[in-house]
Amino acid sequence: MSKYQELANAVIKGDTQQVKQITQQMLDAGEQPLAIINEGLIQGLNEVGIRFKEGEMFVPEMMMAAQAMKGGVELVKPLMAGTDMPTAGTVVIGTVKGDLHDIGKNLVIMMMESSGFNVVDLGVDVPVDKFIQAVKDHKPQVVGMSALLTTTMPVMKEVINALDKENLRSAVKVVIGGAPVSKEYADEIGADGYAGDAVVATEMCKQLLN
Amino acid sequence: MEKFLSNYDEQVTPRLKWVTETQLEQIHYASLEVLERTGIKVQHPQALALLKDAGCMVKDDLARIPGWLVEECLRLAPKRVAVANRLGERVMPLEKNRVYYGTGSDLPFTIDIETKERRTSSKRDVVEAAKVMDFLPNYDFIMSYAIASDTNPAVSDLHQFEAMTANTGKPVIFTAHNAENTEALIEMAAACVGGEDNLRKNPYIILYSEPISPLVHTLDGVGKMFKCFEYDVPVVYTPGVLAGATTPVTKAGCITLMNAEALAGVVMAQLFKKGSPIVIGGGATPMDMRTTTTLYGAPETSMNYAVMTQLAQFYGLPNFTEAGCVNAPVPDVQAGVEAAMSILMTQLEGCNLVHDVGYLEGGKTGYLPFLVICDDIIDMARYTGRGTNTSPEHLAVDCIDQVGPGGNYMGHEHTFKHFRQEIWNPRYFIRYHWEQWEAKDKKLPIDLALEKVKDILEKHQPAALPNGAAEEMQAIIKRRETECAG
Ligand code: B12
Repeated sequence: MSKYQELANAVIKGDTQQVKQITQQMLDAGEQPLAIINEGLIQGLNEVGIRFKEGEMFVPEMMMAAQAMKGGVELVKPLMAGTDMPTAGTVVIGTVKGDLHDIGKNLVIMMMESSGFNVVDLGVDVPVDKFIQAVKDHKPQVVGMSALLTTTMPVMKEVINALDKENLRSAVKVVIGGAPVSKEYADEIGADGYAGDAVVATEMCKQLLN
Repeated sequence: MEKFLSNYDEQVTPRLKWVTETQLEQIHYASLEVLERTGIKVQHPQALALLKDAGCMVKDDLARIPGWLVEECLRLAPKRVAVANRLGERVMPLEKNRVYYGTGSDLPFTIDIETKERRTSSKRDVVEAAKVMDFLPNYDFIMSYAIASDTNPAVSDLHQFEAMTANTGKPVIFTAHNAENTEALIEMAAACVGGEDNLRKNPYIILYSEPISPLVHTLDGVGKMFKCFEYDVPVVYTPGVLAGATTPVTKAGCITLMNAEALAGVVMAQLFKKGSPIVIGGGATPMDMRTTTTLYGAPETSMNYAVMTQLAQFYGLPNFTEAGCVNAPVPDVQAGVEAAMSILMTQLEGCNLVHDVGYLEGGKTGYLPFLVICDDIIDMARYTGRGTNTSPEHLAVDCIDQVGPGGNYMGHEHTFKHFRQEIWNPRYFIRYHWEQWEAKDKKLPIDLALEKVKDILEKHQPAALPNGAAEEMQAIIKRRETECAG
């Protein structure tokens, strides 16, 4: 088995200790940092994604794998000065004003981060202007909103309107989700996408940015 | 026979016990340790001040509650909460092992009985659900089932309450957005029984409010609860969790955390006002680790309620759990299994308020005919829970002797006398011989249930509101609407 394969396997197992160990060995042996990330760490996590979709792996295993990958990335990162860290894009995400449900949002964040997105989490109960400010500050490609209450769903429209008003709407893709939200509602308020679970949410964002 | 009845053990009705007294104590002490060591986050300033004054260690919004204070407040909380219906009859005493069933609130989607399509829920769905459950004998209390999405979101809770109380005389468990709306809703409830005094005397409404796991008590959640206690309205203050996400994944860990949260509620309630009627328990659902859905219909959920009900009985406090809520998206075989298993368990345990009956798709979708099916399931569970009578008359030795070897019991008076009590009769489940079933157009239980729903909606007249109450409720909603807009 190649060292890269070994590294990917350690990610799949969710073994942070081992991932760090192998990554360090590879760095010491002079492997390219970017290659370690792309061909080792990300390969492992991609495989986890596939197995999750097929129902062979479960959420906690995926979370451990993502953590293990992070452990490796942290070792490699300082050596990558000059080269850009590969990222799938920046996402600003939050649960809208009046709503405190965050389990779904947190899962979406976890999935997106492990698929290479840089995610800015605004937390729960996020007012319209905080979304707008975050878009200005972080210049994301995607704005994600979560709402689990029928009473808070309209805030998502308010955010879209505010983005319009600030001339920021065309700069971002807006994606939404949460238990009472639907594809129809997304169309109705002029969002770019809706997803019913974290895996689809991540795939959708990748497609939207392609 | 009767004269030999000394030295005799009898279990009149079966009782399910899941864990031992020692295990309950273990969970109790573990919960006390959580409250003392980790503490709770309290976003309600008055509650935080009360906790501090009572001897909790408070730092910022974190309060560590000492065990003795919990024990003290447990002593103050009423062991019995009598709940009335809208007509002032005290029909639902929450005490000991009495079991009452009702549905849950706020389903965002409804399967339309005409089109069979899933669509967004509306106020009309709340009206219809209330009417259907008002008619069905095994629903003891009403929750909104659907959510009134077509009303102004600022006062949709008030619209839901109006829809319920106008269409049922049964006790109502309500949800509300905040303390202000709770007060308006109490005013509406009072209007339906001739004033606040009558409401205090015979409360027919119960608030359902929640802490946020793990260990967070919000401004709204606590505020709504305190508002109710001002009017002696009972409160269910219980967490709804996702084990593996908001609590430990282990069942005992999930129960320990939930129990700590509920006990913190008991403490805040009793510090606010001695004797405040509070109900403990909660929704102990795990998260499905494949799909991330909420597992309402899973065995773990029922197993957790078995322990939590015993815990409530150990404290002598009324409790709130759930059953008859399923993950099946439509009322099919899976739905029946999930509903029946959980309903029977709660019946045998003796949970007081069993809610969420008739939820589909893990608490997101409703379908009225499923409520009818669940009514039959509850009927069957209640029948089962009545147990097996072993009196001499039921042992039937005389009858056996009269019939003798080779005879038959069909024409015997003993059969005639007892068969209605001894053999349960479903109303919607089917027991025909094949040919009989064919002759009845091969209808399935769900078809019969749909017919029943249509029949109820057309014919059933719930107990009328007193004169002027409907108008008064509308005026209160209008007023709140203006206040919220301003
Ligand atoms: C757990 C829960 C709670 C917990 C929340 C804990 C927490 N930290 O989040 C607590 C107990 C605090 C709670 C409180 C309340 N809740 Co609640 N809650 C739920 C429950 C049971 C599960 C939600 C959940 O976390 N699911 C698991 C996650 C993983 O799924 P998910 O959130 O749907 O997320 C997935 C997808 O939707 C999607 N997704 C989510 N967000 C996003 C965002 C983007 C951008 C994308 C692309 C995708 C996406 O991907 C996620 C991962 O796969 C639901 C019922 C249900 N089955 O949904 C009710 C539910 C959402 N709650 C409800 C209600 C009414 C309330 C309360 C008002 C109750 C009350 N009266 O006090 C309060 C409101 C508090 C507030 N102000 O927010 C109603 C909502 C009805 C409505 N439409 O308005 C529901 C539907 C239950 C019901 N039928 O009554 N609740």
